[in-house]
Amino acid sequence: MFTHYIDLAWRSLRQTPMVTFLMILAIAIGIGVTMTTLSVYHMMSMDPIPQKSNRLFAVQMQTMDEGETWQTEDNIPYQLTYPDAINLQALPGDFARAAMIRSGFSVHLNTPSSKPFIENARVTGRDFFSMFDLTFIHGGAWTEAQSRSAAPVVVIDEEMAQQLFGKTDVVGESLFLGERRQEIVGVTQKWRPTIKFYDLNNGSFGKAERLFVPFSHVKAYDVDTWGNTNAWKFEETRDFNDKMNSEMVWIQFWVQLDTPAQRQAYGDMLMAYMQAQQKLGRFNREELSYGLQDVNAWMNYNDVISEDNKILVGLSFMFLAVCVANILGLLLAKFMRRAADVGVRRALGASKRQVFYQHLVEVGLLGLLGGSLGVLFAQLGLLGVRQSYDYYESLANMDWVMLLSAPAIAISACILAGLYPAWLVCRTTPATHLKVQ
Amino acid sequence: MLDMKAISKVYQTDMVQTHALRDFNLHVAEGEFVAVTGPSGSGKTTFLNIAGMLEPFSGGQYCLDGVDIGKLNDNARADLRNQKIGFIFQGFNLIPDLNLYENVEVPLRYRGIKSGERKRRVEECLELVGLAGRAKHLPQQLSGGQQQRVAIARALAGRPRFLLADEPTGNLDSLMARQVMELLEQINREGATIVMVTHDPELARRAPRNIQIVDGRVTDFTLYQGRSVDTMMTAGG
Amino acid sequence: MFELKPTINALMRSKLGAVLLILQLAITLAIVSNAVSIIQDRMTYLNKNTGYPEDDIFKFNSLNFDKQSDLLQQVELDEQKLRGITGVIDAVAISSVPLSGSGSSGGMQLKPEPQESKRSNMGYVTGDEHVLSTLGVSVSEGRDFTEADVVVIDDSDARPSVVIVSRALSDALFGAGKGLGETIYWGADPLSIIGIVETMANQWPKSSFGEKMAIIPMLRVGNFQKYLVRTAPGERAQVMRQIEELMLSGHRDRVISDITGLDQKKARYDAKDVLMMRMLITLIVVLVIVTALGIFGLSTFNISKRTKQIGTRRALGARKSAIVRYFVVENALICAMGLMLGTAAAVLLGQQLMQWYSVPALGYSFIAITAGLLLMMSLLSVLMPALRAANISPSIATRSV
Repeated sequence: MFTHYIDLAWRSLRQTPMVTFLMILAIAIGIGVTMTTLSVYHMMSMDPIPQKSNRLFAVQMQTMDEGETWQTEDNIPYQLTYPDAINLQALPGDFARAAMIRSGFSVHLNTPSSKPFIENARVTGRDFFSMFDLTFIHGGAWTEAQSRSAAPVVVIDEEMAQQLFGKTDVVGESLFLGERRQEIVGVTQKWRPTIKFYDLNNGSFGKAERLFVPFSHVKAYDVDTWGNTNAWKFEETRDFNDKMNSEMVWIQFWVQLDTPAQRQAYGDMLMAYMQAQQKLGRFNREELSYGLQDVNAWMNYNDVISEDNKILVGLSFMFLAVCVANILGLLLAKFMRRAADVGVRRALGASKRQVFYQHLVEVGLLGLLGGSLGVLFAQLGLLGVRQSYDYYESLANMDWVMLLSAPAIAISACILAGLYPAWLVCRTTPATHLKVQ
Repeated sequence: MLDMKAISKVYQTDMVQTHALRDFNLHVAEGEFVAVTGPSGSGKTTFLNIAGMLEPFSGGQYCLDGVDIGKLNDNARADLRNQKIGFIFQGFNLIPDLNLYENVEVPLRYRGIKSGERKRRVEECLELVGLAGRAKHLPQQLSGGQQQRVAIARALAGRPRFLLADEPTGNLDSLMARQVMELLEQINREGATIVMVTHDPELARRAPRNIQIVDGRVTDFTLYQGRSVDTMMTAGG
Repeated sequence: MFELKPTINALMRSKLGAVLLILQLAITLAIVSNAVSIIQDRMTYLNKNTGYPEDDIFKFNSLNFDKQSDLLQQVELDEQKLRGITGVIDAVAISSVPLSGSGSSGGMQLKPEPQESKRSNMGYVTGDEHVLSTLGVSVSEGRDFTEADVVVIDDSDARPSVVIVSRALSDALFGAGKGLGETIYWGADPLSIIGIVETMANQWPKSSFGEKMAIIPMLRVGNFQKYLVRTAPGERAQVMRQIEELMLSGHRDRVISDITGLDQKKARYDAKDVLMMRMLITLIVVLVIVTALGIFGLSTFNISKRTKQIGTRRALGARKSAIVRYFVVENALICAMGLMLGTAAAVLLGQQLMQWYSVPALGYSFIAITAGLLLMMSLLSVLMPALRAANISPSIATRSV
């Protein structure tokens, strides 16, 4: 029966090619526009590390004096001070933790043929790799001892290894960060999350780093951040040492807490730490507070999805509504004109339900055709987005969820538009139309 | 009133030329009631269309009430239709979106008559056809006979001097057909010229003058008035 | 003349088709007027004068990794070298680049920290006495820096004592037209305003303090140094091409990167807004096309449904123009209703958008203009089917079904 309906639907669509074309075009344009904005939205809001996003937490501490305000919703600074980061790093407990900053170096091999280039680097703790699920192809993270002694070691990814050495197995080789020779202890698989969720204050959609340096180098080699440094009060900072000892916030800090109990314990530990610091004259405020937000909450807190994008998604759905109204009108006109034909069918014994289904199959087919064309339009739209703003390069794409959603939305929209006309048609009594003819 | 001289009508298709009317001559005087009969495909409808200026003709001369139709442009023909001709169609052709009152009002609006006068005339005509009480009804709420009476009211509203009726009883049962016919006769008595196309011999017999169109030419039966139409049909057939 | 009443009555009787068109037009008006308002807002921003000849200026970075070299001496050498290139008007080592979206910001206030006083946010850059000339701006009041004003930050306690600010910053602190010769505090450091530049955008022209800019005559050298170069008009491309080679000659232990025109920097900074504008424009265009197609399609259908009726009307004496008028009036009625509803929807949507997002208030003129254009579009899309309807032969009326 279904194939028969499809056959009937196909014939019906071919009977009125102009109207069919208009309807398909309307739904295709609607889907094209909606899918373009929705795809970007989807990529922005996608969980970047679903397997453990609820176990990774960004740590914030309210370090500001009473009455000071910040641009966040709860007035807590995004980042930590250097002393706090170092102290949190040293807290007891068997859980992964990583202080980090974004920095950069001129990288070269100190040979006449290698031209130095600037490379962004993540300066962080050794737990970073396990916390964020980076996979080592060769070697591994630097050791705890190497970290403590600020040994000149680095981890790079396979792409960079290829670029520098023409191969990936480069453990034991050395590269130069500026004038400093550093030994490669590990090579990771290429790791490029769509959203740079572990560093949202320096551009949410920047490329993940290919070069990793121990956090102890910050102090040992005066490695400053290439990201934001914020101060909430005036402090004289003449050199890097002043900055490290100041109340300026510039360090990001993540912990992995696998159970609610661990989370609770960590929160208590943070509170105890702050109270201890208060005795030393810091945290001059009535109420102490900290932030411990998992990956998705953190992205939400940092407004990863831009306002513009939300507006666009909203407007696109209104646009889709216009397309649906459009199609509804055309379907109504088309179906009503065929009422006579339906009268004959009904007289020949077709049930109301059969007539209804026949018409729904027809609009469904319309949705499928329109949706497929709409995916093409959306691809054009996304191409336009990518060309207009290369920062969205990895975001303006359709993944399979979106690819499947497009026809699903199109078909639902068409069926929504077709329900009333189909109901009207199936309601026609066989007699009325036979008589007039 | 109506004067057709050597009218011809040729339908041109890719392959063939069809002569719907050839060397068609007819004169209808003021106040006449003429019934036009003929086998189907003989050119009855073409004649009606040309007489009502619904279609252009290919050759000859057609004067309506002394006006040479061939020299008029589309707008002038529309105005002339509006002022001089009342149409009664086989399929009634009431406008389904409009109620009875509005349907009857249509030609008056095209003539630009003021609303007070329109109201008076519409009510008068609906009264005449006995449907004054149903002015607000939509056409689909009426029976076929009632619909045709509305169509007649509409044709009369403009007080045309010339009424063209195309199978006015074609879709009606005999009782209703007789009522409609009586209405037409009454209108004719009041001075309107009527040309009625019909295939119903009984109806034709009631008209004072019968003409038959056969193969695009006219045969006038006025002279045979009184003789049995049946024999004539056989003779003409 | 316009058959208004029967047209309305007929419309009321075939409700749904009309209702759909009304809804479509209403939503279209709501979307388009709000989108146009947002576009207009971004356009105003994008076309705003920054004060700089962006096409003649470019920047580049130098990352030094030779710890032995005297950085200050190197900067001065570089500056001299740059200024010596033919086609270059001036060049300077600068702390950050205006219009680029990155750099330093802070507050300037009337009393030294930690005292509470009137304060204004601003973006600032530091460099030597060539900053203004390289940026292509000049003071409208007061004077430019001299070499004597420039302080080099090293182990000594020397601090800068003068500043040049944009008019927007001095106005914010001292009132319109005032500020020259006054003292402002940068943290605890007093700075005397020696010059005011009329228009000079800072590093974040889009921000609420985008026009508030301060230039501090101070040099603090580091391994990572930014340079700004202004060339004679038309000379920029050729100068940019030789920069890397020139900078590396004589001092190889560094990386020269991001050699970018100031206009490109701004374009990058504005890319999001340009994208938003393009998306909205695309949205508007296709929306109007879809709505026009809808009106066209529905009119075509209505007319084919009413072929017989049109023939009858013609037979009853309607001129062709009366038929066209009928459909146009019908459409105009629908359109008027849609636009009235749409005006309400547009205002509502505008309020919602303003409540949740940082978009400007929707001006009524946008609704009015959009409504006017939609009415015209609507009439245009009904015109073709209406003209076709007028050509329906009146002889249709006598044809049996």
